[in-house]
Amino acid sequence: MPLGKHSPNSGSKIITGSARSEFWAGVRDELPLQLGVVPFGLIFGMLGITSGLTPLQTILMSSILFGGASQVVFAQLWANGAPPLFVGASVSVINLRHVLYSASVAPYLRQLPLRWRIALAYLLTDEAYAVSIKHFLERPTNPFRHFHLLGAGMTLWVFWQISTIIGVFASATIPEELSLGFAIPLTFIAIVTPTIRTRPDLLACVTSAGLALAGQGLPWNSGILVAAIGGVLAGWLLHSFKRLKVMR
Amino acid sequence: MIWAIMIIAGLFTFVMRFVMLSGIAPRKLPTVFDEARNFVPIAVLTAILVPAVMISEDKNIMLLDNAHLPAAIIAVVVALISRSIVITICVGLGTLWFLRFMGFP
Repeated sequence: MPLGKHSPNSGSKIITGSARSEFWAGVRDELPLQLGVVPFGLIFGMLGITSGLTPLQTILMSSILFGGASQVVFAQLWANGAPPLFVGASVSVINLRHVLYSASVAPYLRQLPLRWRIALAYLLTDEAYAVSIKHFLERPTNPFRHFHLLGAGMTLWVFWQISTIIGVFASATIPEELSLGFAIPLTFIAIVTPTIRTRPDLLACVTSAGLALAGQGLPWNSGILVAAIGGVLAGWLLHSFKRLKVMR
Repeated sequence: MIWAIMIIAGLFTFVMRFVMLSGIAPRKLPTVFDEARNFVPIAVLTAILVPAVMISEDKNIMLLDNAHLPAAIIAVVVALISRSIVITICVGLGTLWFLRFMGFP
């Protein structure tokens, strides 16, 4: 666990102390984000049940997939009777962004033993990535920095599992009239809106919205996939076009 | 069947999180990927949220008589100002409940 070559002679006390402080720094940095994670987990738990999944399927999905947006889409597509291959493809497209997170933390984690890289990759979610990359950039030479991601990732994991379980068991008692499912599109509005900064961003959003509405008639909710791909393409094309003009 | 899909999708998700740490992948992603990356969350999340707000259960676009739409528009404004997920959810849900209370369908 400790990176031996950095401290061959120092006592294990110093190593664990430092590793421990990094771990708890990760936990502390991750805690405020749970304000957004817990309601999302509760809602996913309820949505899983209303989509026709069993409690066990809903609860285990939170540790097998461990990605909020992709779990919601999985449940919705499943409820609509989409073909298995299509469910898998949609979940993969939604989780594609994790390749970027992986690339971004790679310079800090590449030297770790395989078991560490496997564990940290599993814990590499939006929220854990967001706090740990900030920490890595601020303290690029700390040999125990990977403990920060471990602390942040484990915190998120625990909160996500517990809130899913509560959501599953609360789903029977919460009245339908509260429309708590509406919190899911609201969460996405809260995530997307501040990230729209440039015209290509806006075009990606508008194109995706238009295609999603136009593609309603398509079978098995495949309009979502068409809209997502179309939105990325439109944004990227305008981005490339703008860059060409600048170069000229 | 659902277990098989869930486990395969979970493996795919893990591979996407692990690939750049694996030591096999190239150190730098192709530039196209780098340029397109901003648009992935925007396009994907919009594709999910817009139908959730505007499409009725019988697959029609609902512009009028749809309390979700004004609530969502207010949520966009609140998200722009507050940049907080919790505040956006609270105001959006509050607006929906208020509109329903006022007799909006």
